[in-house]
Amino acid sequence: MSSLLSGQLLVAALATGGLYALVAVGLNLVYGTMRLLNVAHGEFVMVGAYVAFLLFSTWQIGPPWSLLAAFAVATALGLAAYRGLFHRLLERNQRVEANSLLLFFAVSVILQNVVALTFSANERAYRHLDGIVTFGDVSVTESRLLALVVSLAVCLAVALALRYAAVGQAIRAVLQNRDAAALVGVNVVQVQRLCFAFGVGAAGMAGALISLTQGISPFMGFPFTIAAFVVVILGGLGNLTGSLVGGLLLGFLETYGIALTAASYRSILLYGVFVGVLILLPRGLFGRRAARR
Amino acid sequence: MKAPLGLAAAVVAAAALPLLGSDYAVGIGLSLAMWVALTQSWVLISGMAGYVSLGHVVFYGTGAYVMVLAWQQYPPWLAVLAGGIAAGVLALAIGWPVLRVRGPSFVILTFGVAELVKYVVVNVEGALGRFGRVLFGGPDLQTLYWAMLGLAVAASVLTYVVRRSRFGGGLIAIREDEDAAEAVGIPAAKLKLAAFALSAVIPGMVGAIMVMRSTYFEPLQVFSPVVSFTIVTMAVIGGSDDAPGPLFGAAFLVVLAETLWSTLPEAYMIAQGALLIAFVLFAPDGIHGRLTARRARSG
Repeated sequence: MSSLLSGQLLVAALATGGLYALVAVGLNLVYGTMRLLNVAHGEFVMVGAYVAFLLFSTWQIGPPWSLLAAFAVATALGLAAYRGLFHRLLERNQRVEANSLLLFFAVSVILQNVVALTFSANERAYRHLDGIVTFGDVSVTESRLLALVVSLAVCLAVALALRYAAVGQAIRAVLQNRDAAALVGVNVVQVQRLCFAFGVGAAGMAGALISLTQGISPFMGFPFTIAAFVVVILGGLGNLTGSLVGGLLLGFLETYGIALTAASYRSILLYGVFVGVLILLPRGLFGRRAARR
Repeated sequence: MKAPLGLAAAVVAAAALPLLGSDYAVGIGLSLAMWVALTQSWVLISGMAGYVSLGHVVFYGTGAYVMVLAWQQYPPWLAVLAGGIAAGVLALAIGWPVLRVRGPSFVILTFGVAELVKYVVVNVEGALGRFGRVLFGGPDLQTLYWAMLGLAVAASVLTYVVRRSRFGGGLIAIREDEDAAEAVGIPAAKLKLAAFALSAVIPGMVGAIMVMRSTYFEPLQVFSPVVSFTIVTMAVIGGSDDAPGPLFGAAFLVVLAETLWSTLPEAYMIAQGALLIAFVLFAPDGIHGRLTARRARSG
């Protein structure tokens, strides 16, 4: 039991949780402002991971540039998808929810297979920032520490921006009530585009961080999509602080759950929590206002 | 009166396919019948009620696993039936808590539940020390083909009948406007749950038959998300509003699969994704929807 109380496990849980929070903040912004289920969110994580992998394996470029490049590539891809696919759909306004879901599903399969075709489906990994940092009796790899610090910093920055910046207030207005926000003069389409670009960009950046700590493959995205949905449902729609807390909670659940059982139960644990959360909180995706109804 | 006669003739012709004596042709026929049966079933909940299922493979896999567990202990056809029932019960268990609530919870649940069941089966098999199972001595290809053809016809008839029933009318009303449907007294939660359970039974039986055809059970393959994605694509390409749609969609993609899948699986999946996007954006009613619109205009 003593190993469960070690600082080692605590840091591992915090790092995993921070990454989940970062991925989920992006999903929260996209789902909250557009009400579209982005089931391809995890594929943007995967794209970010491959960008970082490519940069390092060809030019030995690591963080911070690889993180920014992953963010930029994911954002560019997201904007292209938004322009080419979803803008059209949102304008026509025909069964938007079901149709956008099918589009995201298709985007996810296309991204997976394009990457698999280009880089093969095999798992890839690279070694960078794997030095050990020691605090007292806790040792942690530099890459994990970086993942923890960057993801928490980005989440905090987003939370602060939402609270104090003008654009943040516009985003919060759209999160709370799209129609009312439009009535008081918020440019809803612009806010949606911004949130979509930033949301998938954050996912890409998370992917770059993840590629430092574990092997990557074209099909790695799905569990992150699922984790992000769990976090959004637990933390509340449009609630960024909730996403941060929810992400850390899931990180702890996963890390300690595996420590208590075995690594082969990781997937069961993640999907089990997901199914359990949805069954217990089926209204979780509607936001607090609607849920109280 | 012409259409039913033509269809009956088509079914008789399909049933006579093994007389050609080509196992290759029967194999393609089997795969076509399988996709028709799966896609017709999907249409019940996702096409008619508009609740998109992204994880329909879970029912296929459940049926296959029931067959594997019952192998050489119970007669195979009994296991096929049990596979269908198990899939239906699973659908009730998944749908009961979530379909009472409206909206996207159901969709993302289907998305994750298939993976959960997959990894549970992987771990159960691992704990039993079984890594892949072989099923020898099952029925021959012809028999399996006829059984699958029967399921394809049954699923098509089911979709056709439901579409024209009060039940189907209720589902369509839910798809178009769930608030309005409930306001006029349609028991939406009950209808959705019934449609979901009904949409699971035949895929369960299909899975049980297909695992006898492949004579090999490996959970990661049997529960592959590719199956779910192919079902969705076929339904959207063909049209997911009525029984003829899945026939068009399945025929279209099986031809594509025959030409691309074996040589370039990734390219085949990319092509599927591109087709799905093109149809959602430019022809959301699918091939069948386009044909009926054209007929209405000219007639």
